[in-house]
Amino acid sequence: MEVKNKILDKSFLKKILSSKGAYLLLLPGMGLFFTFILFPLIYSLRMSFYKWNIVDIGASKFIGFSNYVRVINDPIFIRATLNTIVYTLITVPGQILFALVVAILLNQKIKGRTFFRVAYYIPVITSWVVVTFLFEYFFGSQAGLVNFILKDMLHLVDKKIMWLTDPILVMIPLNLLGIWKGVGWSAIILLAALQNIPLDLYEAATIDGAGIWHKITKITLPLIRPTLVFLVVVLVIGGFNVYVSGLLMTKGGNPLDLSHFILTLMYKKTFTNLDFGYGSAISYLLAAFIFMVSVIEIKLLRRKVEY
Amino acid sequence: MKRLSIFLIVIMLITGMTLEGVAEEKEAVTYWHTMGDAEEEALKKVIEMFEEQYPNIKIKPTRMAYDDFKPALLIGIAGGVVPDTARLDIIWVPEFAEIRALVALDEEMEGFDEIIANTYPGPTSTNFWKGHYYGLPQDTNTQVLVWNKQMFEEAGLSGPPETIDEFVKYAAVLSNPDEEIYGYTMGGTYFWAPASIFYAMGGEVTDSEITTAIGYINGEKSVAAYQVLVDMYRDESLSPLLLGGGGIGAFEGLATGKYAMIIEGPWAHPILKSDYPEFEVNFALVPRGPDVTTSSVVGGQNVVIFEGSQHKDEAMLWAKFLLSEEAQLTIGETGAIPTLSTVQGNERLPEYYDVFMEQLKTAKARVPHPKWAEMDNAINNAYQYMLRDEKTVQQALDDAAEEINRLIIEE
Repeated sequence: MEVKNKILDKSFLKKILSSKGAYLLLLPGMGLFFTFILFPLIYSLRMSFYKWNIVDIGASKFIGFSNYVRVINDPIFIRATLNTIVYTLITVPGQILFALVVAILLNQKIKGRTFFRVAYYIPVITSWVVVTFLFEYFFGSQAGLVNFILKDMLHLVDKKIMWLTDPILVMIPLNLLGIWKGVGWSAIILLAALQNIPLDLYEAATIDGAGIWHKITKITLPLIRPTLVFLVVVLVIGGFNVYVSGLLMTKGGNPLDLSHFILTLMYKKTFTNLDFGYGSAISYLLAAFIFMVSVIEIKLLRRKVEY
Repeated sequence: MKRLSIFLIVIMLITGMTLEGVAEEKEAVTYWHTMGDAEEEALKKVIEMFEEQYPNIKIKPTRMAYDDFKPALLIGIAGGVVPDTARLDIIWVPEFAEIRALVALDEEMEGFDEIIANTYPGPTSTNFWKGHYYGLPQDTNTQVLVWNKQMFEEAGLSGPPETIDEFVKYAAVLSNPDEEIYGYTMGGTYFWAPASIFYAMGGEVTDSEITTAIGYINGEKSVAAYQVLVDMYRDESLSPLLLGGGGIGAFEGLATGKYAMIIEGPWAHPILKSDYPEFEVNFALVPRGPDVTTSSVVGGQNVVIFEGSQHKDEAMLWAKFLLSEEAQLTIGETGAIPTLSTVQGNERLPEYYDVFMEQLKTAKARVPHPKWAEMDNAINNAYQYMLRDEKTVQQALDDAAEEINRLIIEE
């Protein structure tokens, strides 16, 4: 009986695969994919090897790896890369740490749990533009809330701090924003992982006399490890792609192009300076770098979980 | 992701256009601009007049934010989707002409010579690049001093400063940094902001043939001009607003007694009048430098037609119409100074234009060059280095001179 079924299934599958109908069904999706993802991807790869002329494309000159060499030797690009790496190194652990605390708290049987779950998720669904303006307002020099608290309320500083015009200080609101906005999303993912942990493990641990700390380090963390790996990989990719908040808060790298992230620099080079080849080269370097980092992360972090 | 969204925008533009094309039988001429609220209202009237005269043509205006305008046009050019016409900042015309995005109007527009015969030569010249005119001057402007009379009176000052020395002294008297009150403020470090003081003190960016910046942007007078501003910043009589970072805006501060003086264009009047109806707007000429009379910087906008336009004939009619007396007066009532000499002194134009017309006589144009945006950036950076005390004024401008020369040679 079973054998017969299998044969039936196989021939059925074969039928579908051999018929042109399947391809017809795939067509719209693949069409969109080729037009909007694959084609631009390959096209910009080509651009990265040219001194690209946007109006007269025929006049573009093939210059090999020159764009890549220019990018790597550009002090502004190096600064932007450092800013981006620091942003990633701060916001990824920051998000995961806070998200873990939030997830553990939200996993308790507390009053108003649904309200808190929604509250923590609201920043995630709010537009980057809106929350960036909000943070800009908080950290504004003359009329900002943070300066008001620091100087006028607590008298901790004598002069109002120019948060947004200093290339180093501006990283503080940017990183805080990155953490604050991401906590809710990570918390929801972690919450799902926490809820998959069988409660009897904790009960057994309690009987064995384990305290809260031991329960977290010996049960919770090992069991949510795959989720943590997933979060690290996704958040690192997100960290390297930071764009909107940087563009708005630093007005595109102000002052002196010192506060760029990789993508804001890519945008400025491409669409302000019209250096399309240079911009494409930055994109491909970033993509290669993210790919490498992700492979390393997965290799390092993914170990077999033993119950 | 970025790339993807740009393609999506281009596609949206394309589909948006074709859908509307199907819906309307009339030829639609698109017109992109960066007008303010008051001007936009006036534009609506001008469009009505035009469509009455040419019932078969429809004008579709699109208002853009100034900062997004150039990137949007460039992305459009790259994607082959451009508006038929646009009102461009005068400093962008050489750049767009150089990439062959604009129609040479002196070659293709019927009656071009007659039109420009009635315009002021200064604004008209900003359309000229490598032997051809690529636009018509739509409006012109310059910056003058705007001062808060009440603050002056309270400080015991009888009137606005007439020389740069007085300007510096008054600004110091009017400032009270502990209360965040400043004698003078400017909106940023981009060249337009200090340009009026720069030119009034005899500063120059390059020679008139645009062959070198050395001895010009880092010349004695240019250095002196920036030195004055840097000293004012150190003395806290120039507000830190120019560095950005969320300070109180120039208009807001002027009207609310935070800033005593700003240097602004004619749009200051409608903006201040609508946001602060109680505030008394007072204009004065830019203070005189040591040996120059007075001077300022020429701004303005040109109407251009894009090479990619599918409706060039209709676009020409629209561009010409914008240069008609009626159109110039209608938009001219709202803060955009007409470029037609034939309407000068017309009673429909506001009285405060007098001071701007006077200032325009001595105002100077920025370098008409396709690389101007990058030159501006080099000077902007130099100004930042000075204010941050990372370079002396001379060092910063020496470096800017070299950078500008590199840009000239690249061309």
